[in-house]
Amino acid sequence: MSEVLVIIPAYNEEENIERVVGNLASHYPELDYVVVNDGSADSTAAICRKNGYNLLDLPVNLGLAGGFQAGLKYAWRNHYPYAVQFDGDGQHRPEYIGAMKKKMEEGYDIVIGSRFVTEKKPRSMRMFGSNLIALAIRLTTGVKIKDPTSGMRMFSRKMIEEFALGLNYGPEPDTISYLIRQGAKVAEVQVAMDERIAGESYLKPVNAAKYMSKMLFSILLIQNFRKRDRRYKKKGGGGEE
Amino acid sequence: MTTVLRIVLILMSLLVLVVMLRKIRQSKAKIEDAMFWVFFALLLVVFSVFPQAADWLSGLVGTMSTANFIFLLMIFLLLVKNFSMSMRISQLETKVKDLVQRIAIDDNEREKESGS
Repeated sequence: MSEVLVIIPAYNEEENIERVVGNLASHYPELDYVVVNDGSADSTAAICRKNGYNLLDLPVNLGLAGGFQAGLKYAWRNHYPYAVQFDGDGQHRPEYIGAMKKKMEEGYDIVIGSRFVTEKKPRSMRMFGSNLIALAIRLTTGVKIKDPTSGMRMFSRKMIEEFALGLNYGPEPDTISYLIRQGAKVAEVQVAMDERIAGESYLKPVNAAKYMSKMLFSILLIQNFRKRDRRYKKKGGGGEE
Repeated sequence: MTTVLRIVLILMSLLVLVVMLRKIRQSKAKIEDAMFWVFFALLLVVFSVFPQAADWLSGLVGTMSTANFIFLLMIFLLLVKNFSMSMRISQLETKVKDLVQRIAIDDNEREKESGS
């Protein structure tokens, strides 16, 4: 068993999944992975079975948060110390997982694979949204997160437990903001990401606007009122001591 | 709008806000679901604090009085919410049905395997 579990949520990724998981399994055999098929309507699950991939096949569609949580529950049950979220569409590159784990071992709770630690942010609508979310997090926590919308995040064992068992722990910037307020230590590691090669992105303009308003509303208004479960507080690191 | 109506709207909105935020604190409500109610309450607070805004919209729509406009707006918002909830319940029922059937069929297959 490796120390890091790579969780690959996949929804209708028949065009990408073989390339993504194939690359990971052949070039990084030291990493354990699990594909979470989130009730895809296409042949994603069949392709995984054919290739003998380690697969969690959800019988109905739960959405990204529910699918990823299924992967974290698997990580929790199988005692992985670290888990990393890794897109099934080929945007994320496995060569950065090692660097993220190294950062993790310095004592962080969450490490974000960030596109903008040393690189400059390009100017576009999407990056404007990213800046707004970063500003909201900075206003409420005082911490600078340069790439809050990056989907490539690594979690410690403590975070795995909290995400796996809690409610309102979507793998999104608002949860990160909440956890920082609660004392979780978050770091960023520079990574490069690829453009999605095939299939359709979920974040079309209308969805992107909806996502943005939900995140801002949640970070600025709602997260301030959340109370942390005492179970997680007591365990130290990540909670207030 | 009368002062009494404005005060009632503000009190009611604050109550809705407090109850919803408490539910989130206790991890009993999802943030997505709380958003509608917080938004709804804030809207009513805005109209109570700035009745001119409601007066203006009421004139635009052509309702007899501003209070009527507020009622109409609330009915409309609640109808939309009701519709979306009805859709969600349908989807949830379908998912539960699929899951139950799937579990039963899986169990049946497993029993056959262990029996033979």
